[in-house]
Amino acid sequence: MVRPYGKGHKRKKKGERYDKEEDEVEDKQVEEENTDDETEISAQDAEEKTEEEREELPELEGIPVGPSAQTAKKPGVIFVLEKASLEVAKVGKNYQILNSEEHANFLRRNNKNPADYRPDIIYQALLSILDSPLNKAGCLRAVYVKTDKGVLFEVKPYVRIPRTYKRFAGIMLQLLQKLSIAAVGKREKLLRVIKNPVTQHLPLNSRKIGFSHSSDKLVEMEKYVAGVGGDTDLVFVVGAMSHGKIESDYIDDFISVSEYPLSAAWCIARICEAVSKKWRVL
Amino acid sequence: MAKTSKRSRSSSSSSSNTKSKKKKKNSRTAPNSVAMKASAASKDNKNSSNPFETIWSRRKFDILGKKRKGEELRIGLSRCRAIEKRKKTLLKEYEESGKSSVFLDKRIGEQNEQLGEFDKAIIRSQRERQLKNKKSKYNLSDGEEDDDFGIPNLGPLSGQDDFEDEILSDDDGDDADADRTNKKPAILRQLNAHGLPQDAVHGEENKPKTKKEVMQEVILKSKFFKAQKAKDKEENEQLMEELDKSFTSLVQSQALSSLTEPGKMNALKALVNKDIPNEHVKKDELPVIQKPETFKQQEQPDSYDKLVYEMAIDSRARPSDRTKTPEEIAQKERERLEQLEEDRKKRMLVADESSDEENDDVEKLSAQRPRSISGDDLGDSFSLYEEPGTTKGWVDEILARKEADDSDNEDDDSSEESASANDDGDDEGSDEDDTDGDDDEHEKSTSLKDWEQSDDDNLGTDLEEDEEHGSHDGDDGEIEPISHKKSKKTEPVEPRKGDEKSLDGKKKKANREQHSTQPDIPHIIEAPKSFEEFCAILENCSNENVILVVDRIRKSNAIQLAAENRKKIQVFYGVLLQYFAVLANKKPLNIELLNFLVKPLMEMSVEIPYFSAICARQRILRTRAQFCEALKNTAENSSWPSMKTLSLLRLWSMIFPCSDFRHVVMTPVILLMSEYLMRCPILSGRDIAIGSFLCTMVLSITKQSQKFCPEAIMFLRTLLMATTERKPSSYQESQFYHLMELKEIKPLLHIHDHVNEIRPLNFLMVMDMQEDTSFFSSDDFRVGVLVTMVETLQGFVDIYKELSSFPEIFLPISMLLLEVAQQENMPATLQDKFKDVAELINKKANKHHMMRKPLQMQKKKPVPIQLVAPKFEENFVKGRDYDPDRERAERRKLKKLVKREAKGAARELRKDNSFIFEVKEKDKALLEDERAENYGKARAFLQEQEHAFKSGQLGKGKGRKRRR
Repeated sequence: MVRPYGKGHKRKKKGERYDKEEDEVEDKQVEEENTDDETEISAQDAEEKTEEEREELPELEGIPVGPSAQTAKKPGVIFVLEKASLEVAKVGKNYQILNSEEHANFLRRNNKNPADYRPDIIYQALLSILDSPLNKAGCLRAVYVKTDKGVLFEVKPYVRIPRTYKRFAGIMLQLLQKLSIAAVGKREKLLRVIKNPVTQHLPLNSRKIGFSHSSDKLVEMEKYVAGVGGDTDLVFVVGAMSHGKIESDYIDDFISVSEYPLSAAWCIARICEAVSKKWRVL
Repeated sequence: MAKTSKRSRSSSSSSSNTKSKKKKKNSRTAPNSVAMKASAASKDNKNSSNPFETIWSRRKFDILGKKRKGEELRIGLSRCRAIEKRKKTLLKEYEESGKSSVFLDKRIGEQNEQLGEFDKAIIRSQRERQLKNKKSKYNLSDGEEDDDFGIPNLGPLSGQDDFEDEILSDDDGDDADADRTNKKPAILRQLNAHGLPQDAVHGEENKPKTKKEVMQEVILKSKFFKAQKAKDKEENEQLMEELDKSFTSLVQSQALSSLTEPGKMNALKALVNKDIPNEHVKKDELPVIQKPETFKQQEQPDSYDKLVYEMAIDSRARPSDRTKTPEEIAQKERERLEQLEEDRKKRMLVADESSDEENDDVEKLSAQRPRSISGDDLGDSFSLYEEPGTTKGWVDEILARKEADDSDNEDDDSSEESASANDDGDDEGSDEDDTDGDDDEHEKSTSLKDWEQSDDDNLGTDLEEDEEHGSHDGDDGEIEPISHKKSKKTEPVEPRKGDEKSLDGKKKKANREQHSTQPDIPHIIEAPKSFEEFCAILENCSNENVILVVDRIRKSNAIQLAAENRKKIQVFYGVLLQYFAVLANKKPLNIELLNFLVKPLMEMSVEIPYFSAICARQRILRTRAQFCEALKNTAENSSWPSMKTLSLLRLWSMIFPCSDFRHVVMTPVILLMSEYLMRCPILSGRDIAIGSFLCTMVLSITKQSQKFCPEAIMFLRTLLMATTERKPSSYQESQFYHLMELKEIKPLLHIHDHVNEIRPLNFLMVMDMQEDTSFFSSDDFRVGVLVTMVETLQGFVDIYKELSSFPEIFLPISMLLLEVAQQENMPATLQDKFKDVAELINKKANKHHMMRKPLQMQKKKPVPIQLVAPKFEENFVKGRDYDPDRERAERRKLKKLVKREAKGAARELRKDNSFIFEVKEKDKALLEDERAENYGKARAFLQEQEHAFKSGQLGKGKGRKRRR
C-alpha cells in the first residue's frame, strides 16, 4: 500500500540493470545462488557444443569446402522504430493491444481516434526487418521500438516474430505488462522494456539516420549508404505510425528515400536492400 | 486494514441520528468508494482542519478502460483514520495496562455506537419482555395454555387408531385371496386416484374409524375388484374378436396366398370358415369355464395351430457344409487311400475268385462314395491308377483355391504366393518345427551328412559308370523341354507348367502300358528312412510312377495328420533331395523325371521351410568345400560344377525367393556361383558352356533384385576376349587382368570358317558330351555360345542400366563387341546382334554421361543465425503464474502471500510502536511539565520564604511581634 516510512531511498541506490540474468550467464564465477541456473547453463553449453560439431561435419567427405562469402567482422545495423502504436487497454474484462479495427467502438467511446491505433504497422516493420537477409547474415545488432506512450523496448535480432498478428499482439501485450519476454526453453530475454532515452543504448560512433517523407533531402538509398564510412554503425530511425513525423533530437540526418510516401515496411525493405548490397549479403 | 478502519471511523464520527441512518443505507447499497467519499465529505464539513487529508493520490500510468481503483485513495486521510483507530484501541489498552481492574460497561446497547438513546431504550424493554416470556417447562400451566396441551395428546391417540386399522386390514387379507393381499397397496393407490373413498382415507388420519366403516371399506374394495375383472375379460374378448375378423379378412385377401402354398391356403380357408361359428360358441363358454377350455385346446392342437406351426417351420434354409480345412482335406485323402489300399489287398488275396459277391461289395462301397464308382466299376486294379491322376492332391486343391482369382498369373508368382499363403497355414507347424527342430538338430545334421556321404559315394560310382559308358545314345526325346537354355532360364516355370500338363496328359497313356508290365504300387507307403529304402521302392518304376510314389508317400504322411509325420517328411525330403541330386548326375540324364521331381520338392520345402533351408545350406557348404579341393589340383580335372550342382542350384533358385536382400540360402548360392565364374579356369569348350549357363542363371536370379554381380559380367567379357584373336598383351590398358587369376585366354571362341546357320545350343547335350569331343572345337558350338552370351549380356545391360557406374562397367564390353562383330567369319545375324547390344550400351552410357556433373568444390552455404522463438502465453493475464508446475506455482503464490502479510504486519507493528512511543512521549512531556511546575512552585515558595526571611518579615519580627 504505502511505502514504509523511512525506507524509500534504498532501492534507488542499485541503479537499473535489465540484463541481470544474462550477466549471470556470461560470467559463471558469480556465486551459486540457484542450482537450477547452473544446470540450465550447462545444458545450454552442451547444446552449443553439439551444434558446433554438427556444423563441422562436411556434407561429403574428401571434397574440400569452398571459402564462404561471409567475412568476419562487420559494422552492424540498428533500427529504431519510433511512435509505434502499441497501447494496452482493458477492453471488457481482458487487457488487449488496441487495434483500429477490433476496438473502434471502444476507442470512440473513450474519445480516441481509431485511426491512430495501428499496431499492424509495427508488426509489418518488425517482420520485414527480422526476416531480411541482412538479419540472417547476422548484420543486425538490435531493434529498438518506442511506443506512442513512450515505452521503449529492445528486440534481439534472433527473435522469431510470430507469423500471425494475433500471436504478435499476444507477445506485445505480455511484454508491456511483464516488461520482458524470455526465449522458449531458455532464460535469455528476447524482448525487454528498457529505460529511455534510446541514445544511451546506441553505440558511440554511429550515424543516426532518420527517415521522413517531409524531408527535403531526397536520396538514392544505395548511394547514400555507400557514402557512409565503412566502420560506423548505422542507426536507422523509422516511424511506425500511420500519420505524422518523427521528432527526435538525436538524429544526425533526415533523409527521404522516395518521392512518394512509403509504408514503414517498404522503407525498411529499401534500407535493408541497400545495406545488403553494400555488404554483399545475397 | 485502513478500509475497515475508515468505515468504523466514518460511522463513529457522525453523531446525529438521522445522519447515521443515511450513512448505513449508503454503505449497504453503494460501493465502498461512495461511502468513503460521503464520509470524507461529511468529515470535511465537520472539521476541514487538516489540509493534507484533501490531497488525492495520483495514478502512475493511464491505462484505457481500466477501473480506477487506487484513484480514490487519499493517503493523508487514511493515515489520519489509522491514528484515530489506534487511539481507540491501542491507546485504551495502553492506558489500562497499569491498572489491576477494569470497569466494563455491560449495559444493553451501550456498546453499539450507532444507536441513539431512544433505540437503546427500546432494545432494553424488548429484552425485558423476552425474559418474561421465557418460562420453565416445569411450571404448571395456567388455564389459557390448555389448548396447547391438547394438541400433542391427540397425536399419539390417532397413531393408535392407525395401528388398529392396520391390524384390521390384515385380518381382512386373511379372509380374502392371497392375491388380494399382495395387491393391497396398489388398490389403495387406485382408490386414492379415484377420489371416491378419499374422504374416508383422509378421515382415517384424523378420526378413529369404527368397525362398520372399516367393513364398508372392505366391501367397497372387493366390489371394485370384481368390476375390474369383469371389465378386463370383456376387453380381452373384444380384442380376440377383432383379431379373428382381421385374420379372416387377411385370408380372404390375396396377401397370404402369395406367401403360402396353395394347399395350405385352402386348409386355412376351410379353417376360417369352420372357426367362425366355433368362435361364437367359445365366446359363450368363455366367461364360464376358461381353464378347462384351454386345456382341451392344448390336448388336441387344432388344425389352425398345426398350420401355423408348419408355416413357421416351412421355409428354412438348410445349412451348407462348412468349407474344409487343409487338415481335414488331408485326413480325407488319407482315408480314401486307406480304403483303396484295403480293397487292393482284398483283391490281391482273393484275386482268383473275383466273384459276384466281391463286385457287390465294391458296389456297396461305391454307393457310399459316389465319386469312386467309375474307377472301381471297371474291375480289377485297372483304373485305380486313373484315380489319383484325376483327383488332384490336396496341395493342388488348396493351390487351386488360391489361384482361382488370378489364374492368368505367371506360375512362378502364383507358386510363390501360394507358398506364402501356405506359410500362414503352416505357421503353427513351423513354430512347432522350431521347437522340434532344435531337438532334431543333431540328428538331422548327422543324418544329413550320411546322405551327403552316400550321395557322394553314388556320385563316384556314377562317374565311374559314366566313364564305362563312354559314349551314350541319346535315348527318348527327353531333352526336348529344355532345348533352349535361354528360354528356360528367363521363364523358369515353363518347364514346370509343361510338366503338369504332360503329367496329366501322359498319365492315362502311361497307365495303360504300366498296368500290363508293372506291379501294383501300394496306396499307403511309409516314408522311407534312407536312400536305399527309397531306391528299393522306386525300383523298376517309370517316371510317372516315381512321381506317383512320391505323391502317395507325401499324402500318407501328410504333416497335418500326425505330429511325428513332420519328422518323417523331413527325412523323406532329405532322401528325395538326394535322389534328385543323384538323378541329376546320372548319365544318360533323365531330365523328365528331374522336372517331375521339382514340383513335390517345392511343395515340400514350403511345408518344411526351416528344414529345407538347412538341407540346402549343408549342401552348399559341402559343394563349396569340394570346389576348393578341386581348385587345388586343377591340373587333373576341371573344377567347374557338375550337372548335379547345377541342377541343385537351379532348384534352389526356384524354391527360395531370389529377390530377398539377404536370404539364408540364396545369398550363399549367388556367392557360390560367382565364385565358380571367377575362379574356375576356362580350359575347354565345355567350361565355356557351363560358365555361360551359370551366367544366365545369375541373370535370372538377379533380375528382380537388380543386384550387381561383377563376376558374371567379367566372365562374359572374358568370353568376348576369347572370341578375338588378339594377344592378351595388347590389352595392357584394360584393368581387369589382375582380377582374372588364372585365365589365360586362348581364342577358344574364335570363328574360323563361315557359318551358315545358327543353331541354338542344347545345354544338356553339351553337358553329356565329353570334354575332348570335336564338337567343342566346331564353329557351330562357338556360334551357339556367342548367341547365348550376347543375349545374356543384353539381359545384364537391361538390369544394370540404372547403375550410375554403368558406362564404366559396360563401355569396354561394347568396344569388344564391336571389334568381335567386325570379324570376317562372323555370321550376319550374329553381327547384327552384337552391334545392337553395343549400340544399346553406348546409348545408355551416353545417357549416363549426360547426367554426370563435373566435380566441384563443396559449397558451404552461409548459415543463417539461429532464430529463437519467444515464450508467451495465449491469453496473458497479469499476475497469473504461468508455471507449468502447478505445485511450484502454488508454493510461490503462498510464499508471496506470506511475505506480503509479514511485511504488512511489520509495518503495522512499526506504526503501532511509533504511535505508542508518541503517546509515551506525550505522557513523559506531561510528567515533565508537571514536575517542572511542581518544582517551580516549590521553588517559588522557597524563594518567597527566603525573601521573607531575608527581609526579616518572617518569623522573629512577626512572631515576636505577635508574641510580644
